Amino acid sequence: MSRSDTAQFYQAYRRPDDQGAPPSESATMVQLTIDGKPIAVPEGTMVIRAAALAGINIPKLCASDMLEPFGSCRLCLVEIEGAKGLPASCTTEVADGMQVTTQNPRLANVRRNVMELYISDHPLDCLTCPTNGDCELQDMAGAVGLRDVRYGYAGENHLDMAKDESNPYFTFDPSKCIVCSRCVRACDEVQGTFALTIDGRGFESKVAASQDQPFLDSECVSCGACVQACPTATLTENSLIELGQPEHSVITTCAYCGVGCSFRAEMKGEEVVKMIPNKDGHANHGHSCVKGRFAFGYATHKDRITAPLIRESIRDPWREVSWEEAIGFAADRLKRIRDECGPDSIGGITSSRCTNEETYLVQKMVRAAFGNNNVDTCARVCHSPTGYGLKTTLGESAGTQAFDSVLKADVIMIIGANPTVAHPVFASQMKRRLREGARLIVIDPRRIDLVRSAHVEAHCHLQLRPGANVAIINALAHVVLSEGLEDRPYIADRCEPDAYEDWRRFILEERNSPEAMEEVTGVPAEDVRTAARLYAAGPNSAIYYGLGVSEHAQGSTMVMGIANLAMATGNLGREGVGVSPLRGQNNVQGACDMGSFPHELPGYRHISDAETRGLFEREWGVDLLPTPGFRIPNMFDAAVAGHFKGLYVQGEDMAQSDPDITHVSEALSSLECLIVQDLFLNETAKFAHVFLPGSSFLEKNGTFTNAERRISPVRKVMKPLAGYEDWEVTQLLANAMGYPMNYGHPGEIMDEIARLTPTFSGVSYAKLDRLGSIQWPCNEKAEHGTPTMHVDTFVRGKGLFRLTPYVATQERSTSRYPLLLTTGRVLSQYNVGSQTRRTRNVQWHGEDILEIHPHDAEQRGIEQDDWVGLKSRAGNTVLRADITERVQPGVVYTTFHHPESGANVVTTDNSDWATNCPEYKVTAVQAYKVTRLSDWQQQFGEFTETQLELLRKARTPVSA
Amino acid sequence: MNTAKLVRMANDIAANFDCGLDHAREVAGVVDHIGRFWSPYMLDTLARQMQAGDIGLSDLAEQALKELIEERQDR
Repeated sequence: MSRSDTAQFYQAYRRPDDQGAPPSESATMVQLTIDGKPIAVPEGTMVIRAAALAGINIPKLCASDMLEPFGSCRLCLVEIEGAKGLPASCTTEVADGMQVTTQNPRLANVRRNVMELYISDHPLDCLTCPTNGDCELQDMAGAVGLRDVRYGYAGENHLDMAKDESNPYFTFDPSKCIVCSRCVRACDEVQGTFALTIDGRGFESKVAASQDQPFLDSECVSCGACVQACPTATLTENSLIELGQPEHSVITTCAYCGVGCSFRAEMKGEEVVKMIPNKDGHANHGHSCVKGRFAFGYATHKDRITAPLIRESIRDPWREVSWEEAIGFAADRLKRIRDECGPDSIGGITSSRCTNEETYLVQKMVRAAFGNNNVDTCARVCHSPTGYGLKTTLGESAGTQAFDSVLKADVIMIIGANPTVAHPVFASQMKRRLREGARLIVIDPRRIDLVRSAHVEAHCHLQLRPGANVAIINALAHVVLSEGLEDRPYIADRCEPDAYEDWRRFILEERNSPEAMEEVTGVPAEDVRTAARLYAAGPNSAIYYGLGVSEHAQGSTMVMGIANLAMATGNLGREGVGVSPLRGQNNVQGACDMGSFPHELPGYRHISDAETRGLFEREWGVDLLPTPGFRIPNMFDAAVAGHFKGLYVQGEDMAQSDPDITHVSEALSSLECLIVQDLFLNETAKFAHVFLPGSSFLEKNGTFTNAERRISPVRKVMKPLAGYEDWEVTQLLANAMGYPMNYGHPGEIMDEIARLTPTFSGVSYAKLDRLGSIQWPCNEKAEHGTPTMHVDTFVRGKGLFRLTPYVATQERSTSRYPLLLTTGRVLSQYNVGSQTRRTRNVQWHGEDILEIHPHDAEQRGIEQDDWVGLKSRAGNTVLRADITERVQPGVVYTTFHHPESGANVVTTDNSDWATNCPEYKVTAVQAYKVTRLSDWQQQFGEFTETQLELLRKARTPVSA
Repeated sequence: MNTAKLVRMANDIAANFDCGLDHAREVAGVVDHIGRFWSPYMLDTLARQMQAGDIGLSDLAEQALKELIEERQDR
């Protein structure tokens, strides 16, 4: 058995090693001698890094292996035989035969003098300083043996400079700044926001945010890279100021977005002091965003429910009960419904927020213990079209690349994605490549930040109308084929010839030309031609896309259109190219991989395939149904029809996240048994009969799989608040349903997954511990995993060009609903916000806002911050207006982070033809000035208050 | 289950297979798709409604559904 014990990764706290300069990519090795020690390093390596690799630590302050060489602090000076003076080792490249001396009396004297100057203008409050015990300045003073400051401390200094405490997560104390520029360079090079500068010259030099503004008001995105880079206590986490230094750390994986950043949870007992991005993290390379680094407070928020609750009806008060009673109550109800209404009447929803092992277990319970295939996951409402589209064309339901592949792309095409807010850490990597000269095509109805921001400008922005994706992708393909820009040898070698000929004939039809499509897309034909030529020219062209592709009536068609375009231009099967869906939730890829969809078993194998089914039947000891079960929207429709009556939901909040909320609420109210397992009493739980407390990612072991198919370990750093990890709760319920499960550790569940799933056959906890992370497929053919897919051949054999006719959505603007609403996210909040709303991230986004173009606002007499009614055929809500040109005339935009905003009251039941993924991105609406909240919002407020009161009653002891 | 919604779903599927190139393949495409992704309950609901008369299915959707229903009855 393979199992990972947190204990193995429990390390006494120490600052991570820093080699002083980034690694060189060169394959040519150079020989040199440092302090008499011979060493060979890649050409282009800086002396400071070569020394560190030889085990020799040269004192440094401004140098870091996360940043480009800078050479300002003068501490890392060395002697090099034959060279004049004392060169800085952080900016001096190694050379063959070089002889370096890092320690001698002359160097010691210079370094001591440098430190003496620094310390002459530094507060000597080390004992009460927040970074006491983990301060590079303090360490260097010790390393150089500073004993005296001959200049005294009375001279002109910066000691009285005021702190900036505007940011909720970190404090800027300029009195402690040594102006090493590490924060400024981290903001520029690592994050790519360019929010910080060194203002003034000489003695006046100081770090300034934007136009010398408070951090919170500046362009700072609060990623924390500057805080991590600071070698003093100038930029310090408030949690560190409050709690003091951590004493141990554990490597784990972030539970926010699909980037899946690796973190060191720096702990004091069971309390998280800091989350520091792991430099060895293969997805994030030591970087993070405001959510992953700072917004973990929800895990211990007072709203956490830590005891199971039950009630007969949703009008009754909750009753706090034992685990045994709650599980028994839930199982009895489910069994009764199944016996009375048939095996099709119950189902379950797996969570894209939970681990692979937990998700696997829920679908196993539904198939084996419930006895049907009524299992689905929230990927239904986000990337189910990706699964369908990529499986159909390429043969596998996943992105084709590793994130690092972007560093080799020459042309980057972003379609319907907003990486700087939704996948910020990957966006930073992408921006790095754009600054190096890669060219950018943005296809989006909104002017997202990447269209034009610091040192990044899109070569073309095709600002299409919402709903016109397929028209654009066909037009791009039309230009490629009609201008002879396709990669003929690649197509002949790699793709099905008949399907290609059909597709070619279809795409070359005049109806698909950019000129013919102009009326639909609203994009000038010439711009489409420019973009198509740029993409086809490459040589390495990569497509990144998001929910702006999948959440449409033709989401699946668009995914196939993207795959078609990439195949036609030979942009699949190597680094720097590919088709990469930027997936939303931390483990949405994993949830799909684990067989969460009602039509397929783990590893994307259709339930009708007798051979695969037999494999699972033998392992699980049950017969499985060969026909697909209900998808989430089908469950709701069947619930309203009275056919579907019992649902187990692990970590998903459909009552806020799913479209046409009025319909969802009706469906949830129709259920006879709704079991919700979550951290909080979320919107869905307000309709529940059983509430089973969930555990946060800090409270359990398991794995998450990110958007690049990377399986990363999640490690328990504190005991589950309610006593059980989520997989244990599912196991209790399965046992109570009469299907025995006896796993002792998630590692055993992963072993079962590996036994049953060819793409996972080489995955084990032992290997994950050894390698850090693994990109599936991982099996005998690819023992260490697979960063790039479809290298010599497509997973399905030959690539399949599928015909992609443009079919206009039924959601179109009319005289009654003349505007098109499209929805998205902001950086500081995460999806339904149940986590981030319970952190100080609310300081950035306390409510959802409606973006409206000045022209549309003026026509309606709407002014900035006015209350605006938003009405569709599904419902209406009221939001505050932000008048902006980020949206085009005729288009309005909002987010869905706050339940009371009711964005999804307005979205309709229109969905992707192939997968029923909702069309969140296009809703025909009218907007008008109002003075009060909508009826729905008032009812929502009353319902919420009632349900919270029923919860309070559970917590109030009943007198006998 | 709401028939109008099922009809709309079937029509959407048909519209996305309808390219005007090869009718037999388009029908086969719709048959395969609905067979692979719809729960039997949804198909049965629609089959019952189809017997009752015109429910607004497009020609392609109707043809495919009839084939699918026959195929299931044969099994």
